[in-house]
Amino acid sequence: MVDAVAAEWRKLRSVRSTYWVLAVTAVFTGFVLLLAVQMAHVWDGLSAERRADLLLRPLQELGGWVASLCLAVLGVLFITSEYRTGMIRTSLTALPRRRTLLLAKAAVIGAVALVAGEAVTVGSFLGTRAVIGGRPFPDQKASIAHDLPGFLVAGTVVPVFALLGLSLGVLLRSTAGSLVSVVFLWHVLPLLVFQLPEPWSERIGSVMPGGLAHQIAGLGAENSIYGDLLPSGTAAAVLIGYALIPLGLAAFILVRRDA
Amino acid sequence: MIEVRELTKRYGGTTAVDHLSFVVRPGTVTGFLGPNGAGKSTTMRVLLGLDKATSGAALVNGDRYTALRRPMREVGALLDAGAVQGGRRAFDHLGWLARSNGIGARRVTEVLEQVGLAGVARKRVGGFSLGMRQRLGIAAALLGDPGVLMFDEPVNGLDPDGVRWIRELMRALAADGRTVLISSHLMSEMELTADRLVIIGRGRLIADTSVRELADRFRRGVLVRSPRPAELTAALTAAGGAVEPMPDGAVTVTGLDVAAIGDMAAARGIPLYEVTSHSASLEEAYMELTADSTEFGAPLERQAS
Repeated sequence: MVDAVAAEWRKLRSVRSTYWVLAVTAVFTGFVLLLAVQMAHVWDGLSAERRADLLLRPLQELGGWVASLCLAVLGVLFITSEYRTGMIRTSLTALPRRRTLLLAKAAVIGAVALVAGEAVTVGSFLGTRAVIGGRPFPDQKASIAHDLPGFLVAGTVVPVFALLGLSLGVLLRSTAGSLVSVVFLWHVLPLLVFQLPEPWSERIGSVMPGGLAHQIAGLGAENSIYGDLLPSGTAAAVLIGYALIPLGLAAFILVRRDA
Repeated sequence: MIEVRELTKRYGGTTAVDHLSFVVRPGTVTGFLGPNGAGKSTTMRVLLGLDKATSGAALVNGDRYTALRRPMREVGALLDAGAVQGGRRAFDHLGWLARSNGIGARRVTEVLEQVGLAGVARKRVGGFSLGMRQRLGIAAALLGDPGVLMFDEPVNGLDPDGVRWIRELMRALAADGRTVLISSHLMSEMELTADRLVIIGRGRLIADTSVRELADRFRRGVLVRSPRPAELTAALTAAGGAVEPMPDGAVTVTGLDVAAIGDMAAARGIPLYEVTSHSASLEEAYMELTADSTEFGAPLERQAS
């Protein structure tokens, strides 16, 4: 298993697409900080009662949301690039224990996505706080120590999406098909669910992957397309399920399928 | 050692390999021949654990491939030289492979030198020619210094230098006592490289033989030309040969070798203008053996004879 993880790590860091995806993620985080500068200027020009409606949190969460998509794309490419070139056969010849191969891939992409996810979410939070300085935005009055856990939880959504991408890639073997599925789960499906009649939009909206971090952290879902019906523990279980159930299915299929 | 026992592989309703059995022993280069679609690649994929056998067994050193803990140290394989990710450097490609089987980084440098790619180790594989990719694939197969080697169509698309290099490498690997299996659909190539031949068609075994045995089996007698054919025919028939007259006055003799024919003619004072041992080329032998099993062959008009 150690050999397999080391080999997959070498694979991931020896192709350019990895650096492109991570660069896009980093650039977008920088863009979030620039938008925060702009919001600080807006704040300065507003009257006191309009300031009470100006929220910073949606902007702070944008980075993690985009990082989820970027790392899901990386998860997809990590396996579909092997199917596209046929290198999967070389991989399976080197590591004929297919569960070990998939676990090694999951461990590597999961770890990279967790680090990237935390860097983006925590970076967005601390960075935007630094940018607004002492301006008392209505949703930024709590201390950094108080709000930080929520962002740490949001960072864990990124590896879930990366693993989801990896599993979809194994199941579909096609880059295009997997990317479309990832984007569908990431944003199209939640938008469709939001249009459902009540109470279904609330109920199903509560189990969408993008809305789980808020429920785990015990935050509400105002101004959001997601629901907030789940207690924190259940939401955490659902989030873990999004990572592990597709991965288990992918392992089941991978072991049985001719390569 | 490679053992294939009663191997059958079906894909849906198509039978790719049908009760195939053969053994590949160490110290020889064994050519695995058959027309396109005969089941060579399928057999190799099953041997490497990529596809599952429908029934029967495909064993390497007595074990199923998937049971090997560090398979590259026992079996080296090249299935498709094009199956590499173009964005990765040659050095990194071999690097992850080595790492996956606990092989040291020094070995990567060694095999790159052995296949002549040391100068492009830091170049991306995407820019490699087919010949260079073929060499990279062979480097990967040699990485674990395995005792068993399998190559699927290794000379496809290579220039004459590359073909000769592969041929010499295969012979050297076998001379080390390794088991070497090379698939090909070209008999002319195997004739120069292989000691033994496993010939299959439509997934079934057609011949499991040495190159020499196959040549002997398709020996077509001795062509003899003489100004006194009737006298010659009588003498040869009396000596136990079968004589068949040819349209141009020559005769084809089977059952007697060139020396026996010459001695007899000399003893009787019959002049000979030509004595040629006439054997079918291996290529012809192969075509004849596989004539009924080419899957996508154009219909040939049978010559009236």
